[in-house]
Amino acid sequence: MAVVQLDRICKRYGGGGPPAVDDVDVTIGDGEFMVLLGPSGCGKSTTLRMIAGLETISSGTLSIDGRVVNEVPAKDRDIAMVFQSYALYPHMTVAENLSFGLRRRKTPAPEIERRVREVAEILGLAPYLARKPHALSGGQRQRVALGRAMVREPMVFLFDEPLSNLDAALRVNTRNELIKQHRRLGSTMIYVTHDQVEAMTMGTRICVMNGGRVAQVGAPLDVYWNPADTFVARFLGSPPMNLFAATLAEPGRVEAGGLRSRLTRWRPDALAPVVGRDVMVGVRAEDLSLDREAAGPEAGSVAGRVFAVEPLGAETLVSVELERGVECTARLSRGVQARIGEAIELFFPPTATFLFDAATTRAVPASAPLGAVH
Amino acid sequence: MAAAIARPAPSRSPLPRLFGRGGLALVIGAYTVYTLGPFLWLATMSVRTTGEISADHYAWPRPFHWEQFRVAWVDSDFATYFWNSTIVVVTAVAVVTLVGAAAAHALARYRFAGNRLVYGILFSSIIFPPQITLISLYQILVDYNLYNSLVGLTLVYISLQLPLTVYLLEGFFARIPQDLFDAAKMDGYGDLEIFRRIVLPIGMPAIATTLILNFIQLWNEFLFAVVLITDPEKRTLPIGIRAFMGDHFQDIGMIAAGVMISVVPVILAYAFFSEKLIRGMTAGAVK
Repeated sequence: MAVVQLDRICKRYGGGGPPAVDDVDVTIGDGEFMVLLGPSGCGKSTTLRMIAGLETISSGTLSIDGRVVNEVPAKDRDIAMVFQSYALYPHMTVAENLSFGLRRRKTPAPEIERRVREVAEILGLAPYLARKPHALSGGQRQRVALGRAMVREPMVFLFDEPLSNLDAALRVNTRNELIKQHRRLGSTMIYVTHDQVEAMTMGTRICVMNGGRVAQVGAPLDVYWNPADTFVARFLGSPPMNLFAATLAEPGRVEAGGLRSRLTRWRPDALAPVVGRDVMVGVRAEDLSLDREAAGPEAGSVAGRVFAVEPLGAETLVSVELERGVECTARLSRGVQARIGEAIELFFPPTATFLFDAATTRAVPASAPLGAVH
Repeated sequence: MAAAIARPAPSRSPLPRLFGRGGLALVIGAYTVYTLGPFLWLATMSVRTTGEISADHYAWPRPFHWEQFRVAWVDSDFATYFWNSTIVVVTAVAVVTLVGAAAAHALARYRFAGNRLVYGILFSSIIFPPQITLISLYQILVDYNLYNSLVGLTLVYISLQLPLTVYLLEGFFARIPQDLFDAAKMDGYGDLEIFRRIVLPIGMPAIATTLILNFIQLWNEFLFAVVLITDPEKRTLPIGIRAFMGDHFQDIGMIAAGVMISVVPVILAYAFFSEKLIRGMTAGAVK
């Protein structure tokens, strides 16, 4: 049980380049499942390692339950971590791997035995306690790594992309297992991933990072529907949100290339600061459809030529080239028959429009709730 | 699952398929005869007198002169030489292994100013033949009253073997994934404990390799021992064997007996550590 507070945390490496982690300011509540999400090199793993005590903090304060732990060594922070590579000790059996941390803490032997048994039962590892890691499958190793953290009953759990070495089916299973364990333990968990599906499904909140900075923190769906900038907008969602460069000639509507859209979600005064400026208009792939009626009377539209069709079974991704080489992708129903080279017009409800200031990439705050149609 | 079945067992070497089992056995057999032959020849000579050997170099011993071993061990002071060798070599190898492993771990794992400089200096001492240090080492030992002492010889042996040991172990230790160290830190262990509980056990195959190498090399070391030890009481085995070689007469039979005595610990050391060596080489998989 712990509150982890990052107060203007920075990480600079020698050499004078830009900081790897820049002014990160996040509070992770007690029992929360916080996901640090971002592309590789965005500083999420470094942030996690600073929380763990494996990296020094260049500036800022890190506190756990109000106690500043900047100078507290990793071994004294009462934090457990699950590594991407699992980092199981190859020369120890599963039971020894699980009990390694407890033995250090001078936990009485019967207590160690009890906890190892209990965790092994929960994770289905009981038959493998005498095995060495090399005799386990990938999924079993992953569970040992998780179990090694669980037996310690730490204040905070850290996960550094723990699922990325598993195959797709096992990943889904393990994801659900982790969600279950979080619910059961109620511990504070911080989870690093670049996988948006993991972030959306597991996190109570997600913290999207970009270039060492926090781009946005919020509940997964809130971040999805109210992205703070174009980076977050494109990072969450698959395929990424379509963005169209345009100039906002008049408040209320925008036209650029093959795109036309009404901006009904913004009151004129909200749009006033960007009128006459370059903006980015965003539409998610799943909001595009061939059905003008379904998109409503004030539907926006995108027109162009199909240049790629990807039938995925459950749905079909259709990529369209608008004029001037601008591309966009639509996620259409599986029945759609689209031929490459064919002219196509796609429609979207005006409530599914996003608007960003092109200069700052920040979202233009809307007055109507986002995703109102959904 | 299909991929797992289709993949051929990766641990099996492609050699048997290339030669077939019979061909491989033939090659191994030939190699064994080639390497073992001279040794067996020496073994037969160790139970023959020099006179018999001169008469017929390759004859089967008839009778077996086992007393040559007694003569060597008791009358020619081989017991003392054996003891001296054991003390010097075991101490040197123990120190080299411990200090070498610790140094290799530090060089492989910790970023500190001068890390690569220390490594470079160690490495450069591997390049030069150790013989060029002989004269200066002699003078240093004389200056510090360590000349003609087993302590002095032990120190020299440590300095001779340390660089290569550090070099070999550093290469191995550097390949141990950093995550294991981080995991042990998260599990509450300090640097020394991590060295003892993670690095040493995982590095055991490499450590066993250096152990055997160092042991054999020092056990057979002649040049430094003959220069730095003059007292017959402090001779090591290789110098003891040398005593059977006069200017005009070489007691081949006794030399062979002495060599047979001296070779026993080497075989024992290998037998003891080679299992670890092979197990370590095949286990691999840290992940």
